[in-house]
Amino acid sequence: MKKFLNLLKKEIKELVTFQLIASLLFTLVLFYFIGNIARSEMGKVQGVKHISVLDLDQSDLSGEILRNLAFANFKIDLLEANNKEIAIEKMRRQNIPLLLVIPDGFAGSVSSFRPKEIETYVLVRSFSMGSSINSELVNQIIVSINSYLSDSILKNKIPDINPSVLKNPIKNKSFILVKDKIAEGSIRDVNNFVTSQTIFIPIILMMILVYSSQMVLSAIAMEKQDKTLETLLTVPISRNHIVIAKMLASGLIGLISAGIYMVGFRFYMGGFMGNIPTEGQVGDVIEKLGLRFTPNTYIFLGISLFLAILCALALATILGVLSEDLKSAQSASFPLVFLVLIPYFLTMLSDMNTLSLPLKIIVLAIPFTYPFLSAQNLMLGNYSMVLYGILYMLVVFMVLVFIAGRIFSTDKVLTMKLRFGRRVIR
Amino acid sequence: MDVILRVKNLKKSYGKIFALKGIDFDVFKGEIFALIGPNGAGKSTALRIIATLLSADEGTIEFMGYDARREPERVRENISYLPEEAGAYRNLTGIDYLRFMANFYARDERELEEFVKRGEEISGLGVRLKDKVGSYSKGMVRKLLLARTLMIKPKLAILDEPTSGLDVINSLEIREIIKDFVKEGVSVLLSSHNMLEIEFLSDRVAIIDNGRILETGTPEELKDKYSSKNLEEVFRRIVTYEKVS
Repeated sequence: MKKFLNLLKKEIKELVTFQLIASLLFTLVLFYFIGNIARSEMGKVQGVKHISVLDLDQSDLSGEILRNLAFANFKIDLLEANNKEIAIEKMRRQNIPLLLVIPDGFAGSVSSFRPKEIETYVLVRSFSMGSSINSELVNQIIVSINSYLSDSILKNKIPDINPSVLKNPIKNKSFILVKDKIAEGSIRDVNNFVTSQTIFIPIILMMILVYSSQMVLSAIAMEKQDKTLETLLTVPISRNHIVIAKMLASGLIGLISAGIYMVGFRFYMGGFMGNIPTEGQVGDVIEKLGLRFTPNTYIFLGISLFLAILCALALATILGVLSEDLKSAQSASFPLVFLVLIPYFLTMLSDMNTLSLPLKIIVLAIPFTYPFLSAQNLMLGNYSMVLYGILYMLVVFMVLVFIAGRIFSTDKVLTMKLRFGRRVIR
Repeated sequence: MDVILRVKNLKKSYGKIFALKGIDFDVFKGEIFALIGPNGAGKSTALRIIATLLSADEGTIEFMGYDARREPERVRENISYLPEEAGAYRNLTGIDYLRFMANFYARDERELEEFVKRGEEISGLGVRLKDKVGSYSKGMVRKLLLARTLMIKPKLAILDEPTSGLDVINSLEIREIIKDFVKEGVSVLLSSHNMLEIEFLSDRVAIIDNGRILETGTPEELKDKYSSKNLEEVFRRIVTYEKVS
C-alpha cells in the first residue's frame, strides 16, 4: 500500500502542472466574464426599455396602445413631429433604438375594418442579442392589442356569443402520459423544464470522460516520451498497481478539472438562460408524472457515470500504451473522443427509439451511451435499461482492464507501437 | 567466488530478427562484469531481459537463486537498472525523484533517509537537487539516474551504457562513482561499446556480437590470448576472425 500511495502521489504531482492550473483558471475567468456580460445584456433587455412613439392619431385607441406598452415595461418617449420622415431622421441622429409610428386616422380605419398599419422601426447598431429582442417584444404587444380589439369588436357586433369561442371554435386539452401516470399540461413546458434540470448532465459527463481519458493517455505517453517507463517497470511494485495508480490519478484530476470547467460553464450558461418555465409553473405536472430526481435516481446515475469513467480510463490506458509519445497519444485519443461524442450528440439531438436498428445496435455497443441515456431513462422509470447499461459497462471495463493488465505485464508495453494506424514491433 | 547471476542459453527474437541466439555467462558477487559489442549485438536486449523488462524466448536466468521468469518481483527487489536512454520525471525536483524511487525499496523511514542521503552524495548535484529535473542538463540527469540506481545498494546494478552521450569530464566522474561503489559489495553488470571505459571498469568482460558471446575473460586474459595491447584490438581481432570463419 505504501508503494502504491508513493506512486499515486507522484502521478498526481506529475499531472498538476503550472500549465494545467493556469489553463483552468483562465477558462474559469473567461467563462465568468462572458457569462457576466451576457447576464448584463439580458438584464438590459428584460429591464426598462426605451421606445419612441410618434402618435399621429391621438385617439383613444392609440392611447390604449401606449398604455399597453407602458404596462410591458417600456418607457415611452413621445416624439413631436409632423410626419414619420422627421421622426426617422431624429431616430438616426439621436440613436433611438425603437420607433413606433401610429398613423393618422388609425382608430377610424380600425372601426371601418380597413386598418392602417402601425409601423415599427429598429435602429441596428450591432447584431447583439438585445437588438432583435426589442422589436419582437413590440410585435408581441401588437398581437395582444389585436386580440383585445377583435374581442371588443366581436362583443359589440354579436353580444350573445363569447368572442373567444368565435375566434377559436375548437378547444383542446393536452395530456401527458409517462408509463402509468397521466397529467394535464403542455409537453413543451414539461420538456423545457426537464431539459433545464438535466442539460448539464451530458455536458458534465462528456467533459469528465474526455478529460480523464486524455489525462491517463498523456500520463502513459509521457512516461514513454521521457524514457521513465522502463525504470518504473523494473521497480518492485505490481504492474497492476502502476496501471491503477495512473488511472486513479488521472480520473481524480480529470474529475476536478471537469468540475472547475463546469463551474465556469454554469457562469457562462447562467448568462444566457431565460424563458424556461419555473418549477412553480409546471411543478404539479412534474409531480404527477413523477419526473423528479430521487435519491435512488442519483445513486443509479452515479454508478452509471462511475463505470463510464472506468471504461474510458481503461480504454485510454490501452491507447496510451500503444502511443509512442505525447504527439501520437493526442492522435490516439481521437477514437475515444469520437466514441464519447457520438452518444453525446445522438442523445441530445434525437430519440434513441426512432433510430434505425443497425444504428441503434452500434450506438448501444458504445459503453458511453448508457450514462448519457441514464438521466432520461431514470426519470421515465426505465430502470431495466439503466441496469442493463450498468452491467454492460461492467463487463466492458473488466475486459478492457484485463487487456490493459496483460499488456502491462508483458513485453508489449514496450514493444507495441501505434503509428499511423499500423502496429509496429520494435 | 559466489555466483549472483547465472544466464543460460538465453534466446530472444523480434519477429524474424534474432537478437540473442543463446548466450551464457555468470556474474560473481562484488565484480563488475561487462558485455561489450557493437550496436545491435544484443547487449541491451540481454540486460533488459535480466532486468525483467522483456521475456526470453528460451533459456534461464537465475538471480540469487530466484528464477527471473517465475519470480520477477523477487528479482526486482534486489536489482537496480539504468537503461541506456533513461529520463527522470521533469516536474519533480531531483530530491523528490530520489525520494520517490527510494520509497519502493526502503523498509522504513530510517532506511529511506539513508538511501536519499546516499543518492544526494552520489549525484554530487548539491543545491541543484532542489530544482526541477526539467531544468537539468543531460549530464546532470545521467548523474541523478546513476545515483538513483546505486543509492539503494542493490545486489546487482545493471547499467546499460552508463556514460552514454556524456562529455569526458562527466564520463570520468561516473566511472569513478561506479568503481567506488563496487567496493561496498555491489555487483555490476554493464554494457558499453567504449572499450577504454570497459578496460578501466571491468573485472571480467564478455564480447558479444550478432547475438552470440564470442569470448569471456578478464581484460588481461583476453589481451594476452590475442596478443593485443588493449581491448579495442582484442575486440577487432575476435570480430574479424568471426567474420572470416
